[in-house]
Amino acid sequence: MIEVKDLVRQFKSGDRTIKPVNGVSFELEKGTLASIVGKSGSGKSTLLSLLGALDKPTSGDVVVDGVSLAGLPAGKLTEYRRRDIGFVFQQFNLIPNLSAVDNVMLPMEFAGMRKAARLERARSLLEQVQLDPEKQSRRINKLSGGEQQRVAIARALANEPKLILADEPTGNLDEQTGEHIIELLSSLSRDHNTTILVVTHDRSLAQKTERRFRLQQGKLSEETVRPRVAARA
Amino acid sequence: MSVLARSVGNAFRNKIRTAAVVAVLAVAIGLALAMLVANQAVGGKVQELNASVGTVLTVNPAGAQGFDGGGEPLTTAQTATAAAVPNVVSVVGTKALRLETATAASTSTTGTATQQAGPGGGPGGGTSVTTNLQAAIDAGTLGNRNNTSGSTSGSTGSGSTGTGSTGSENTGTAPTFSLPITATGIGAEVDTAGKALNITSGTGLGDYTVASTKALVGTTLATKNNLKAGSTFTIADKTFTVAGIFDAGTTFGNNAVYTTLAEAQALAATPGELSSMVVTVNSMENVDAAKTALQTALGSSKADVTQGQRNLETAVSSLDSVKNISLVAFIAALGTAGLIILLIMVMLVRERRREIGVLKAIGARNRTIGLQFVLEALVLVALGSVVGAAIASFASDGIASALISSNSSTAATTQRGPGGAGFGGPGGNPFGGASQLLTSVTASASPGVIAAGVAAVFGVAVVGALVPALLTARIRPIEVLRGE
Repeated sequence: MIEVKDLVRQFKSGDRTIKPVNGVSFELEKGTLASIVGKSGSGKSTLLSLLGALDKPTSGDVVVDGVSLAGLPAGKLTEYRRRDIGFVFQQFNLIPNLSAVDNVMLPMEFAGMRKAARLERARSLLEQVQLDPEKQSRRINKLSGGEQQRVAIARALANEPKLILADEPTGNLDEQTGEHIIELLSSLSRDHNTTILVVTHDRSLAQKTERRFRLQQGKLSEETVRPRVAARA
Repeated sequence: MSVLARSVGNAFRNKIRTAAVVAVLAVAIGLALAMLVANQAVGGKVQELNASVGTVLTVNPAGAQGFDGGGEPLTTAQTATAAAVPNVVSVVGTKALRLETATAASTSTTGTATQQAGPGGGPGGGTSVTTNLQAAIDAGTLGNRNNTSGSTSGSTGSGSTGTGSTGSENTGTAPTFSLPITATGIGAEVDTAGKALNITSGTGLGDYTVASTKALVGTTLATKNNLKAGSTFTIADKTFTVAGIFDAGTTFGNNAVYTTLAEAQALAATPGELSSMVVTVNSMENVDAAKTALQTALGSSKADVTQGQRNLETAVSSLDSVKNISLVAFIAALGTAGLIILLIMVMLVRERRREIGVLKAIGARNRTIGLQFVLEALVLVALGSVVGAAIASFASDGIASALISSNSSTAATTQRGPGGAGFGGPGGNPFGGASQLLTSVTASASPGVIAAGVAAVFGVAVVGALVPALLTARIRPIEVLRGE
């Protein structure tokens, strides 16, 4: 269970105070696939950074399975990111001189998993995201955009996180590849019972999620709650 | 993939840049290692010089030296006075004897077994006694000429019992003449210059402070008389056993015998008398002060204090300068290598800020990322060290020679002064024998020195890489990922 309580993040810009996130509250149950839509600069990525403990809120709190992030020191926040969070970025942010399998193994290495175990799991995850086995040992720059995003998703799943935060995961992909990626996220949410929060400005993508939020001028409002029949069945 | 494997991979991300960085590092490291090798070589030479003659003073009776001159002999009691002088670490008394082959001695005009030696028969000189040994050096032209001149002096000496040959022998063509053998009583296992004896077979004399019928014989003298360790010979009809054979390194030095000091004094029937004292000072810097203090303590009317091979001081001073220059250059080159690493790694950290942010976002600890950058720096340094060590092994001797010759030229100019001619004479080398010492320094790159230098380079590299590694800890992932 993810609980977001009256979250505020403000910045100073000259004499002005900007609040991209201004009193946001919501809850997500485990295994939910949710989306946040909004225009560029509406604060979507800032909210995602706060949920992923990449940034600290000015006020408010994020509680993950009963643990408040507000009081955690830097080391514990790193541990939280390593253990409980998986990131999928718009620009993939993979390490370019490593192979696909090495990129997926990185979070497991940081978590202290043994080499043989992490290699086996990395290959299994890459199969789940349907990356051809012969491409798993290729360097990242030898893969297409869609393939790179699949690797990024596999990396996000590496340590079996409670929450996957995907920031514009289809923003750099063509429509068809984007469709595949969102189907992939949806099936992963079902199969792994993982909570996935996707930030996007793509309405068609957002319509495929169970819960849809809109962020406007720092305020969050929920648009739709769509029961995921297949998943619950 | 482990941190190390990732670091190695990162070091070769951009092969052209890696090659350039390694080349620059290799030059700095090679220079540092070459300077260290030169420093060690010169330091070793300085130690060697200081340990030998550089810190040795010789005390002779005032007005006498060896078998020449006059005045009053030194006494054993004066060794205690000398030993009490500040910075003096050891005092060794010697007693010189002149051994004449029994057949040659019997043809002399006096016919006595014991004679006063040398022109004027100075008391500080050696005492002649007979031996059954044959000298290992033929008299030749020089020996016969010296013997003739010695006899003339002797015969015209003021009432002395001249030791020279008869007048008829002096005036005719050069007669057959057997050179005397030098015998010296010593209070420790050193020669008259204070240098440790090089015993090539047998043993030393054991306790050098008591009378003993054991002796050390020079190599050529031993060969001439078919002596080896355990053989016997006589001095003044007393049988001596050869305890060991020594090599003095010169033909003259090897035509000699060493006995204990007490034994030589007994043979000369002059107990308590010394021909000279060999005084060792604790360091080169204190030699001048010790010499003055020694002269004052013993009295200028009773003793002459001289410093053997004074020009060594110049040589050691020059070598010390080279040592200091090479040490400074080593530190500078080491610092340069560290600075290169620092700048390269700072550049790499700035270049990979985004990647560092991503690693932190997916849960990498600061120390893991810092370690990755330190290891990457060490990979570059390792490559630079391999090439640098190769450069040093080829260049260290040349660099050391260049440093030494450059420094000795400067010193030579200073030494020569406005007159242009130093003690080497016009056009001569003002260092004299010291110049040979300077050029005899061989800077060979020993594995130990190279290993020590490389260890120092790695130490500096770690320090140089730590700064950028710590910089990575300050990178906040949100700042570098905000571009998303």
